Amino acid sequence: MPEEITVMVRLFASMKDAAGADRVELKLAAGTPAGAVWGHLPEAVQELGLPRATRFAINQQWTLPGAVLRHGDEVALILPVSGG
Amino acid sequence: MSHLTRTPLDPSAALLAISRPEHGGTAMFLGTTRAETQLREVTAIEYAAHDDLAEAEIGRVLDEARDRFGVEAFARHRLGVVALLEQSVIVAASAPHRAEAFEACRFLIDEIKRRAPIWKRMHYADGDTEWIDGTAHQNDGRPVSAG
Repeated sequence: MPEEITVMVRLFASMKDAAGADRVELKLAAGTPAGAVWGHLPEAVQELGLPRATRFAINQQWTLPGAVLRHGDEVALILPVSGG
Repeated sequence: MSHLTRTPLDPSAALLAISRPEHGGTAMFLGTTRAETQLREVTAIEYAAHDDLAEAEIGRVLDEARDRFGVEAFARHRLGVVALLEQSVIVAASAPHRAEAFEACRFLIDEIKRRAPIWKRMHYADGDTEWIDGTAHQNDGRPVSAG
């Protein structure tokens, strides 16, 4: 059995509304990369699709989708931005 | 200094923050909520951010502007609901001469819009709302691109 880790996923904008919450706790297999988190989110969030330009952050630092998550990490899905 | 605020922006405070005796040129850009976007009447725009990342990213953009153009620079972005005619963002740069101030001001707004994790939600006159975040389906099912 692979070791299991727990991470907190921060959601924003459409994903936050779809989930009905700004964060979702997930239990994932050890070795899961940040970019794979989306596939474990509630169905209502997955129905939005994942824009190609989505960026990722772990513990408030930008990272690449291939970055491996560790137990206790906070991972944020940063949808294409539109400020200004 | 916080680069995000939930209270109205103050252009005079921005000018004061970057005024220097040796700086003779100052450029400022204000982003303002406008009434119409793509033929739908807008009543307000709501902004939300990943606060920690947005603060850090705007700070990096300011540092880059200072290094690249030799300016003093300022940026602040509103969060929450911004009514028509209110400002959502202020950027400003001062320099000894106007060329660097104009260039830096353009750099600041372009980079903040491109990089800072801040999203806007349009509030329309018909009561509909939609996030502009690149997801495939918005509230009414129409495809929308971020911009």
